[in-house]
Amino acid sequence: MRGPLKLEVWKMGFVNYLEALKLQEKLVSDRKLCRIPDTLLSLQHPPTYTLGKRRTDHNLLIPESELKNIGAELHYTQRGGDITFHGPHQAILYPIISLREMGLGARNYVEKLESTMIELSSLYGVKACAGKKCETGVWVGERKIGAIGVRISSGITSHGLAFNIDPELEYFKHIVPCGITDKEVTSLRRETSTALPSEEVIQEQLISCFARLFGYNTVVQKENPSILSDHEEIA
Amino acid sequence: MAPTMLWASRAASYLRISMFHRGFSTVLKDLKYADSHEWVKVNGNSATIGITDHAQDHLGDVVYVEIPEVGAAVKQGDSFGAVESVKATSDVNSPVSGKVVEVNEELSSSPALVNSSPYEGGWIIKVEMNDAGELKNLMDSEEYSKFCEEEDSKH
Repeated sequence: MRGPLKLEVWKMGFVNYLEALKLQEKLVSDRKLCRIPDTLLSLQHPPTYTLGKRRTDHNLLIPESELKNIGAELHYTQRGGDITFHGPHQAILYPIISLREMGLGARNYVEKLESTMIELSSLYGVKACAGKKCETGVWVGERKIGAIGVRISSGITSHGLAFNIDPELEYFKHIVPCGITDKEVTSLRRETSTALPSEEVIQEQLISCFARLFGYNTVVQKENPSILSDHEEIA
Repeated sequence: MAPTMLWASRAASYLRISMFHRGFSTVLKDLKYADSHEWVKVNGNSATIGITDHAQDHLGDVVYVEIPEVGAAVKQGDSFGAVESVKATSDVNSPVSGKVVEVNEELSSSPALVNSSPYEGGWIIKVEMNDAGELKNLMDSEEYSKFCEEEDSKH
């Protein structure tokens, strides 16, 4: 039987992609050594394209040299999944959790991440569903509203999910999103007729859906979360 | 492994459909197992390594396997490669230390072999062990079966 499950949430605001990546690497290492509890990073990124382990850069439709002109960065990562875009007004969750302690495999973990976004969508009357075979993610009809790309190392997760609240969808035109042609990308703003509250509220709801679906009974917020470690000093 | 199973898995891989997921996981008697769900088959100083039926079932359909180069060193408990399934890359750890002497080239065109034939066609690397004494750190089939049951009862 499982003991009480604690989740520590870091609300980080706007974070550069590489800095978030470095922070996750450190947290994964700390989690492996049981120095920290299951941790959830909640944040947004400046315009950033990212590739997964398979390096499917044929799905980037503009030359890399052009990216600076549109104000975006490109990063190669070790996560699963194809090419995607992250940017302002897209809610990101990076869970750094021990799947082994939860007894969850990759498949069940990803299904719960999909459910997290599906539940959030339903709060706004949007009927979203999980992707069919080979199309992991969250869809409203034929339009993709949420993406997933995960890394699992010795049972500890990093990377996670990206939910489109109201990002600039034009950026997606420069890629074949997730390697799936002929399917559109959408956002909560586009799919709902309900007035949207502030993004802070929506991100808070996303965190609650996550915590509930994963069975956390204690959720604490980290005071002053920072990309600096506790041991680094500010000059 | 019956030729029809290999053909079926290749067809499934090509058509991108999954083999059905059974309700139980197979554990083979003569293998040794790591708690990160890799198996090892020992023959003298040679070790063949893959992931277990339990592991492949919990991963979902494997679409990509990252394998090391022949000649690479591996260490017990350390990652030597990864598998990708359902947009998740999962590290694969080596149950023994030694040198990679052979890798399963089939996996680049047929990664689904890991799902359909985890103990045979889906083997990942062969290692020349440098410390057979490490095998005592691994579980036998009975211990591993029990370990899987305990893990699965957690949720």
